[in-house]
Amino acid sequence: MIMETEMTDKQPRKRLGLKILVILIISFLVYYSVMSFLSPGKTLDRISNEFAIKQEGKTKIDEKILTDSTFLIKFKEKTFLQSRIALAESDSIYLTINLADSTANLEIYGVAVHSAKIKDLKMSNILKKGNDYVISSLLSSPFTISSSIATIKKDPVMIKMAPKDTSEYKPDIMPDTSVTEPVNVKLVMTDGTRIYIYQEENDKSADRMNLFRFDLKDRLLESWSSMKSVAVFKIPEYHLFIKIKIPRADVKIIYRALPKNGQIGVFR
Amino acid sequence: MEENIKNEGQSSEIEKSSGDDSGKDNAGSGQVSKETQTGDRLKKIFHISLLILIPILAIFFFLTFILYFVPVLQELKSGPGTEISSNPELKKDAGYNKQIGALVKDIQRLSRKYNTYSTGQSYIVINTTENRFYLYKNKKLIREGSCSTGSYKKLLTAEGRSWTFKTPRGKFTIQGKRTNPAWHKPDWAFIEEGVPVPPKDSPLRWEAGVLGDYAMDLGDSYMIHGTIYKRFLGMPVTHGCVRLNDEDLEVVFNTLNIGSKVYIY
Repeated sequence: MIMETEMTDKQPRKRLGLKILVILIISFLVYYSVMSFLSPGKTLDRISNEFAIKQEGKTKIDEKILTDSTFLIKFKEKTFLQSRIALAESDSIYLTINLADSTANLEIYGVAVHSAKIKDLKMSNILKKGNDYVISSLLSSPFTISSSIATIKKDPVMIKMAPKDTSEYKPDIMPDTSVTEPVNVKLVMTDGTRIYIYQEENDKSADRMNLFRFDLKDRLLESWSSMKSVAVFKIPEYHLFIKIKIPRADVKIIYRALPKNGQIGVFR
Repeated sequence: MEENIKNEGQSSEIEKSSGDDSGKDNAGSGQVSKETQTGDRLKKIFHISLLILIPILAIFFFLTFILYFVPVLQELKSGPGTEISSNPELKKDAGYNKQIGALVKDIQRLSRKYNTYSTGQSYIVINTTENRFYLYKNKKLIREGSCSTGSYKKLLTAEGRSWTFKTPRGKFTIQGKRTNPAWHKPDWAFIEEGVPVPPKDSPLRWEAGVLGDYAMDLGDSYMIHGTIYKRFLGMPVTHGCVRLNDEDLEVVFNTLNIGSKVYIY
């Protein structure tokens, strides 16, 4: 009898505990969602404060101009050239992503040396639908890479020990160039912007699996960083992103050619 | 007495028969208890499965929500967009025209500056990832083909010396042109083969016929030259130099001059 009453006492306690756990998890999810939903607004405010036109001094600009089609076309053209010149003057090998004509180009001191056709493009809604003047101003200066993650080595260095004498010497064998490992790259810019370059080829299950793993790992990393902010009641950082898909060979060429802290210009 | 015996006999029969019935009842109740036992077992299995499944599903839901749903939620915000207009009255405004005029001037100035970067001279572009070269004259591609570039091998010695055989990337210029070049072998060429390294001025350091008919110096001992290992063309096998086949090498040699640009990526 005593056992039975103990059992019946424990069950409601268990249920209560479970209920509290469920409520806590749901509350956290709601809190996390609200904080995450607020984060793009924070980034947008920062960009707007930095790049929106400031009505200072004597030459006040009529704000109607900023929505005029002719003005915006010319302004974009100017920012495009400004960024390219900045790139040509400051860095040896750099990448330009032209969203208007869907190309990713490697350039060296103003000379286009390699071009790849962008097959698929996704980007932050802020970049896609945000204020034209503000976004063009943001893109008028190139991005600088601070770190990168990729599914291939940047420098595929192979270690070879020197033979002690001629008896130990073995001539080099012909390298296997038929290996086509999946290539997916994430480039993190100094201002937090992320540029993802994925291989277009997606027919093999190995390629799909590799992309899934790469994407999942990235989502886990980003979410973990957001959770850390949320845990201390801070709105997490929202990072602008551009995701492009180009042929595998081009991803490899671009990733290997770009310097570790190389620069990227984006034009739209 | 006889009746009594009969009655006793009957009663014993009745007892017997009743005893049989109770045996059947016991068997029946055994079956029911077995059924209830299996039912209980199934219930237990179901209960345990639920206990395992529910946390798994909860974790799956939690992760899916955080990893996939929240980023979608974030993308709902894009800020105030631009309503692009074309107001004819605005175009008559002097301030507007001044702004557009200033922009056009800026674009012309920047375009002129940008065009100075692209050279009208002949130049060669080398792709080290795919081991291909592209030769340009007057900004037009006149020849392309296979080449060999650095192998990315790192040669280590027991004494701690090391060399990494990679072709440097960036912009270079042709600093010198030579016909029938001979190769002045550096230390690693001997160390790599396990041969003792001769002194710097030793005639053993010179080897003729391995660089092809022409060589173009890029600085820091890097060159564009020919090769005797033609089957390796298109592969990363060199010690940092760029190797071409005889025909391509001749065209490149005759097209590029001292000072011509070499773009390697």
